[in-house]
Amino acid sequence: MASDNVSWVRPIWNIEMKNVCFATAAALFVAATTVAMAADEPRHTPEHVIGEQAYPFASNDPREEDDKPPIELPDSVAPKLALLTPEEIEFLKSNDARAFTGPAEDTIEALNERTPEEVQAWVQAMQHVVNHNRYEEGRDTPNIRLNTESPKFNAWRLQRPRSMDPAREAGPIPLGRYDGKGGPPTFGRFPLALSTEDLVAGEVDVAILGAPLNMGSGWRDSGERATADLRLLGWPLAGLDQYVQIKPSEVLTIVDYGDVAVDNDNTERSMSHIRDIVREIAATGAVPMIVGGDHSLEYPNVAGLADVYGKEKVSVIHFDSHYDAWWGGNHLIGHGYPVYRLINEGHVRAEDYIQVGLRSGGPDKTGFKWMREKGMRYHNMAEVEAHGWDAVLDRVVAEASEEGRKLHISFDIDVLDPAFAVATGTPVPGGLTMREAIPIVRRLCAESNVVGFDLVELHPALDPTYKTTLNSTYIIKACLTGLAMNKEGLTEKHYLSPLSSEHAIDDYYGEQQQYLDATRAEEEKDKDEEKEPQE
Amino acid sequence: MSPQGILARCGMVTLILALLLPPFERAAGQWPIPEELLAPLSALNAEQLEFVSSGAALEFIPERQLEYELATRDADSLRSLVDDLMAVAAEMGYDPNRDMGATPLNLASKRFNKGKLPTPAPLRKLKRDAGPFSVHRYLFPTSGVPTFAGAKVAIWPEDLVAGKVDIAIIGIPSNASSGRRDARHGPNAMRATNTIAATDEQSLIEPHEILSVVDYGDFSVDWLSTELTVDHVTDMVAETAETGAIPMLVGGDTSMLYPGVKGIAKARGRGTFGLLQFNAHPDSERFGDHTVSDRQAMFLLLDEGIVNGSETVQVGLRGSALDLESLQWLRSQKVRYHTMAEIQQRGFDKVLTKVIREVERGPDAFFVSIDVSVIDPAEMIAAGRIAPNGLSIDEVTRAIRHVCAAKDIVGFEITDMAPMLDVSRLSVINANAVLNACLVGIAVRKAGLEPDYVHPLVLDHGQR
Repeated sequence: MASDNVSWVRPIWNIEMKNVCFATAAALFVAATTVAMAADEPRHTPEHVIGEQAYPFASNDPREEDDKPPIELPDSVAPKLALLTPEEIEFLKSNDARAFTGPAEDTIEALNERTPEEVQAWVQAMQHVVNHNRYEEGRDTPNIRLNTESPKFNAWRLQRPRSMDPAREAGPIPLGRYDGKGGPPTFGRFPLALSTEDLVAGEVDVAILGAPLNMGSGWRDSGERATADLRLLGWPLAGLDQYVQIKPSEVLTIVDYGDVAVDNDNTERSMSHIRDIVREIAATGAVPMIVGGDHSLEYPNVAGLADVYGKEKVSVIHFDSHYDAWWGGNHLIGHGYPVYRLINEGHVRAEDYIQVGLRSGGPDKTGFKWMREKGMRYHNMAEVEAHGWDAVLDRVVAEASEEGRKLHISFDIDVLDPAFAVATGTPVPGGLTMREAIPIVRRLCAESNVVGFDLVELHPALDPTYKTTLNSTYIIKACLTGLAMNKEGLTEKHYLSPLSSEHAIDDYYGEQQQYLDATRAEEEKDKDEEKEPQE
Repeated sequence: MSPQGILARCGMVTLILALLLPPFERAAGQWPIPEELLAPLSALNAEQLEFVSSGAALEFIPERQLEYELATRDADSLRSLVDDLMAVAAEMGYDPNRDMGATPLNLASKRFNKGKLPTPAPLRKLKRDAGPFSVHRYLFPTSGVPTFAGAKVAIWPEDLVAGKVDIAIIGIPSNASSGRRDARHGPNAMRATNTIAATDEQSLIEPHEILSVVDYGDFSVDWLSTELTVDHVTDMVAETAETGAIPMLVGGDTSMLYPGVKGIAKARGRGTFGLLQFNAHPDSERFGDHTVSDRQAMFLLLDEGIVNGSETVQVGLRGSALDLESLQWLRSQKVRYHTMAEIQQRGFDKVLTKVIREVERGPDAFFVSIDVSVIDPAEMIAAGRIAPNGLSIDEVTRAIRHVCAAKDIVGFEITDMAPMLDVSRLSVINANAVLNACLVGIAVRKAGLEPDYVHPLVLDHGQR
């Protein structure tokens, strides 16, 4: 292993670290105050669609705007156009017709093969398709109506008043009788929290939220099965991380924040509610960690963070085999649209988007040209093929850790190779290994300022083994470990424990003494810490 | 145990009961408050009192728990509970200033209706004469491009007309089941595991020799909206039926029952045929917040008069949606329903006899539909909305074969088989067996045989 990639020198506990502690305490206080104030604020964001509003943003896809000039037709084909009206001739020359006729020379050849009558029917058929593909008032319904007469219209998202259950103090709720364990399964066997009061009272650092959304997916099993399976297999989350010798659950207060209500017959409807819940978590200062469902979730997750931290104040790193910036279909959300929609609505600047692992059939040149023009930092598997993973890893972490960035990590498990994550809606071979994915997630959560995280597109039924759920769990754990390292101040480049990463009995790598010194320094520091009065 | 402990335990028990028991549906009006609980009510103001005594609170809290809360809470705590429940009640219905009443769509899209637009004739790449065509190179193929029943392919209505097609088997790969979702892969799984239209081991007829069967491809669906799928499927089913072919529809989730039956009604007239449905779920949800879904399919068909309740027979009902209210409503609609409880009480054969009699007394024409959840999970683990204690595959195929042979079948639909949920091929094979039962039934009828005809060679070896 190249030594310049590994930092084994742990900072000595000093006045700066104390400042970090004070800053953390102050941040928690500010967060608690923010929550108290937030209670009076309107529940919904300005963009929340109410009644039968149209989409309150421009919705055309500028990438589809086409400024090519119309083609020229030679005089020799004029007899073939005899039956066409001037409008029909203009259409035949236009770019709308190119989708059917191909380039000019193909058009001329096709005209020569047809009689004037056939040409007329041909052009009219093209116009029919172009016109019928577009929305037409009166013919097409402009929206998807819900049954507003339903007396149970909001039953799906109504929250149970705290007063319906026996009184308890606010804070995380242990569900078991043995030191909180032994109850119904929660993420990581962490205690449950049901409201922001619980998060504030417990000074919660990370709230893991299940999101059983599956309407927007290719294969649809990312519903309640995904969040349930992640809970059933939750135990590795709490354990010691051998690489860095940190146990996240000892450093961070982590809770299971239950599942967010979703309407799996209408993704758009789920969006505003999920955004509300993500916002309420983030407003307490806790990191919302959203797990489970389809990648439409990236939209409400990041929008919810932007509601708290401000528009264009959050950067996103998007791990995925797909770029998810599709647009221009009849729908405004689905698991292929969240990136475009977030940029379109101004929640995230395009240049604050970093994408890692792309390798699916799209985007094409138009999509990549758009990303490059917009300043998006994309790191496709083609770049990994050209430069190797280690180079890309360092570049990505450096970009994500730039000064001042608040980072949301959106981890679609299809970024992993199907060998590691076959239970996903749209798997694509040639992806990351777990040995690549764990370090990058751990490092990002340790070395950058992570304010949100999601892990999406787990479809347990597609994997009769529990491998995909296990690997998903370890991705979440990698981030929890990183967040714990960050809180402990272990934010330097690629920290690994000098004790666990090298036996240092001989000088095989020529760094024996450095490892031994670093280990001793850590031992000294741990002793100092024991002497310090506990908080 | 300390008094607090007992209270906590009571609370826990009540909580568990609250989770287990669905709120009891009750007519608007008064809640007969037990006399011993009247005293605590004096703590409430007029508005709160009205809310509790009207019974409106029971929509949100089970009666038992409310009684317990009245008996045990102090005045402040009771007031705050009632206030909270009133706040929840105020948020329950639709408010145009708070809630989205309709999902906006991308009206600027250049592909707003893409996928729902069949290619006009002048733009079709290949010129050929109308009629069903084989997808095979060989005269006696054993593999190749998979089609339903190994049948020829037809693409356009003129193919059906030219081929005088009797049966058009069609996939509708919708994927919005309210259970586990993978029904979109049902049609292709059934094509890929072809066990349809082989020699019938009961009558020894060859379905392909009696009927002209085609694979009519899939009808397009909008993955993200059942609402936006319904009209196109309705139109396509109607167009198919108008050629004289019988559409045999393969879902897709059970929301597609609505456009399936509606399309036949569009071609043949509302209320001109009966509906025999095998389903674990009544699908008669009346107050849903959506305009269409699998849970509402039967309600929509009955409510819009597409089929008459008295000419609708449902078999195999059970499952969590089969509550008092839904049964009362089905009865009020004169639906002939047969629950699994009835079948367990009286035995399947007796109930089947009754079902057959009801069908015989109904109109000449029938639409036969099955949500695969009606079959026991032992033989259909891939049902999206699975419910234990169902019918056996033998019971279902026997019933369907008889009815398809006894009546003039105007349409058939099988829905909500989600292949991903079965790592074996069993569910797909049994789904094919169900479709095959109706196909063979139709062939038996066309051949002029009695519905339950058994060839003498099959029935007995004839040796002394």
